[in-house]
Amino acid sequence: MMPTPASSASPTRAPRVNRKVLVAGLVVVVPLIAILLLNLGRDPHSIRSPLIGRPAPPFSLAPVGGGSPISLESLRGRPVVVNFWATWCVPCFEEHAALVAAARTFKEAQFLGIVYEDDEARTKAFLAERGGAYPSLMDAEGKTAIAYGVFGVPETFFIDGQGRIVDKFVGPLSRGAIAELLGKAKGGAR
Amino acid sequence: MVPLAGRLLILLGLLAASAGSIVGFATGRRPSAAGWAWTRRFAYAFAAFMVLATLVMEYALLTHDFSVSYVAHVGSRSVPTWVTVVSLWSSLEGSILFWGLVMGIYVAVATYRNREAHPEYMPYAVGVWLACGAFFSFLLAGPAQPFATIPNPPVDGPGPNALLQNHYLMVMHPPFLYSGYVGMTIPFGLACAALLVGRLGHDFIRPLRNFLLLPWIFLTIAIVLGGWWAYEVLGWGGYWAWDPVENASFLPWLTATAALHSAILVERKGVLKAWTVTLVIASYLLTILGTFMTRSGVFNSVHSFTQSAIGPTILAFLGVALLFSVAALALRVDTLAPEGRLETGASRDAAFLVQNLLFVLFTFTVLLGTVFPLVVEAVRGAQMSVGRPYFDRLSVPIGVALLFVMGVGPALPWGRATGAQVRKALLPPLIGGAALLILGFLLGARNPWTLLALFFGGFTAQVTLAEIALPVRQRMRSRGEGLLEAIAQSQSRGRRRLGAYIVHAGALLAIVAIAVSSTTGTSKEIQLRRGESTTLGAYALTFVDADRFTEPHRESLVARLDVSKNGSRLGSLYPRMNQYESQREPIGTPAVRSSLTEDLYLSIHNIDVDSGSVGLLVLVNPMVSWIWIATAVMALGGLFALVPAFRAETALVRETGPTSMPAPEPQ
Repeated sequence: MMPTPASSASPTRAPRVNRKVLVAGLVVVVPLIAILLLNLGRDPHSIRSPLIGRPAPPFSLAPVGGGSPISLESLRGRPVVVNFWATWCVPCFEEHAALVAAARTFKEAQFLGIVYEDDEARTKAFLAERGGAYPSLMDAEGKTAIAYGVFGVPETFFIDGQGRIVDKFVGPLSRGAIAELLGKAKGGAR
Repeated sequence: MVPLAGRLLILLGLLAASAGSIVGFATGRRPSAAGWAWTRRFAYAFAAFMVLATLVMEYALLTHDFSVSYVAHVGSRSVPTWVTVVSLWSSLEGSILFWGLVMGIYVAVATYRNREAHPEYMPYAVGVWLACGAFFSFLLAGPAQPFATIPNPPVDGPGPNALLQNHYLMVMHPPFLYSGYVGMTIPFGLACAALLVGRLGHDFIRPLRNFLLLPWIFLTIAIVLGGWWAYEVLGWGGYWAWDPVENASFLPWLTATAALHSAILVERKGVLKAWTVTLVIASYLLTILGTFMTRSGVFNSVHSFTQSAIGPTILAFLGVALLFSVAALALRVDTLAPEGRLETGASRDAAFLVQNLLFVLFTFTVLLGTVFPLVVEAVRGAQMSVGRPYFDRLSVPIGVALLFVMGVGPALPWGRATGAQVRKALLPPLIGGAALLILGFLLGARNPWTLLALFFGGFTAQVTLAEIALPVRQRMRSRGEGLLEAIAQSQSRGRRRLGAYIVHAGALLAIVAIAVSSTTGTSKEIQLRRGESTTLGAYALTFVDADRFTEPHRESLVARLDVSKNGSRLGSLYPRMNQYESQREPIGTPAVRSSLTEDLYLSIHNIDVDSGSVGLLVLVNPMVSWIWIATAVMALGGLFALVPAFRAETALVRETGPTSMPAPEPQ
């Protein structure tokens, strides 16, 4: 069937478009929407860590519940996952189960929690209730958190066998994200 | 149980808003009494569901029901009850619920007030309001989900953002801001209705103007409360930093102010109809842009980095609203043809036009500076920020020019003015300008822009005061009334006009105070040990002692400084640092000693209680109090104009009794 030009024209009263207004409006609106769209994935709080690719700041901290301090130095040769967390942070306990499961699965890596701005008794109670598969360390004066430039919790650093920070993750981790980032840390060890 | 009730209420709100919006638009196209009645019913139902959902959330907060995710995020057993109550607007999800509440109330009130008026416009207007309402209920039902359930509820929560707990101003700021932001929905709906109907008559510009003035008052207060809070809490000694969050609230204020003025030309001359409608629509779109830019929460919780779907959803709404507005304007703007002609020579008409253009220029300047970092991020992938110099350099000339127009405009007559009229109008206020300029110079102002602001400030002050006094003088002369009687009579008659000039008086006071305070202060940074003293200008400060206080939710380090001015003791000031449990960075609370002429401002940089040393920022800020006073004057002027206008409108609609009944004389 051949559409004729006459039949495609609408029989109803076509509204007259004010082209000047249309063009002016689109000139302002379209770039604005485009810019906002391009920036959509950006988190205003995510300040790119200058630490990625650099040696991880060393630490030696006592685990929750007592015991001899654990240092990053002593873990050289294995990938290390350092998770800054606190009992008052809701996303932290959203990711807790994923971290515990990952620590049980990826036995070649060492998982460490570093307790951020929280007290030991509460942390101990939390771990007793929810279970833990790896040590959490007390960072009494927040010096380690400062050294790592932690802005808010949870933040997780993936460190390769040579003690270099391979990547950093802000926000609650899923099992998939842990596996992927840990893969990068393992790759760096080779 | 509680989360379920909350979710159900939000779903019902979404249903009512969607249905009401559809019925409203249908009734707009094919008017019917039944359709209008149903539109109203849906509007009231939407409002009721939003109020109930908010009450359920408050109940969950007060009963510490941590199975509700919002309560788990912001609740805490250790904070005072008032903090728990205001936690509703302390974080993203709750603030959107609060938004829904404010919107429900606005929609219900605006619908009820116009239930018998403007039958051709109102169904469309309510349709637009409820379409916006449907979006926000959708946001609450889907992406935001304040009533989401947490399977293993925690025993206690972190409490709301420490900034909220730190100062009462931060508690008051969001309700005002939301009342301003959300309130722009009402004029937006009315403007869209005018476009859809294809008419903006005398009868309809009034509700449009009044419903624009109401959120404008709230927004004015909110912007300054935000600045006041920054001044009292952040400790860097200023009140405005051109931060994106601040700009987000300033942008719709600029376009709304422009629209309030162009509406006068619509009312008086029947011109600038399309322009006014555009400004009103822009004001609403800028509130949504601001909401998007700040991710809707003025408070971005530091603890929560969960990427939410709220941002993209708001952006989708913004995109739809922007394109709808452009399409509606392009298709319908020609129907709003002017009825008269705009005078472009030296006249009050032209001053209105210049004022409008300056406000729009200001809007684009601020918008560009705010969005530019995003452009750079998108194009070059670099993180940058547009600093204060850009904004200051461009806003100072625009502000001074506005001050000038605010003086020249009201001095000039309507219509075409002759050269003699112009001279007669503009020469006498030069005295006021010169007087303030000389006064400022003698008191030490040297910055050329400040001196210019003082000159125009004096000029405008004389014009404004003359305009306020004009009806009184006329009555005294023509009717032989006494001064007090003339004041009482004239204020009951021309209240809208008088209110407008009171706003002008406040605005010029604010501009002058900002110009003076930002250019003539002095400051110094100093490290003091216990017992040491320092001086700044006429002030002498002695660091007496430092102390530590522990409260359940925070620990405070407080310094005591004895202050004297020109040798006479003024008392002690106690700047402090507060360390909140859930926040690493301490939040300072500066100590400010305010007076009408200047503020003495002490802010702690560092403090060591044990060794007894303190690092201080000391500022002397002249005239800052006047900014807060000026804002109060502006808000009161707005209310003064608004209240009788609303009343007169109601009287007009009901046609009960004469509208020009003289007010009873005050004794």
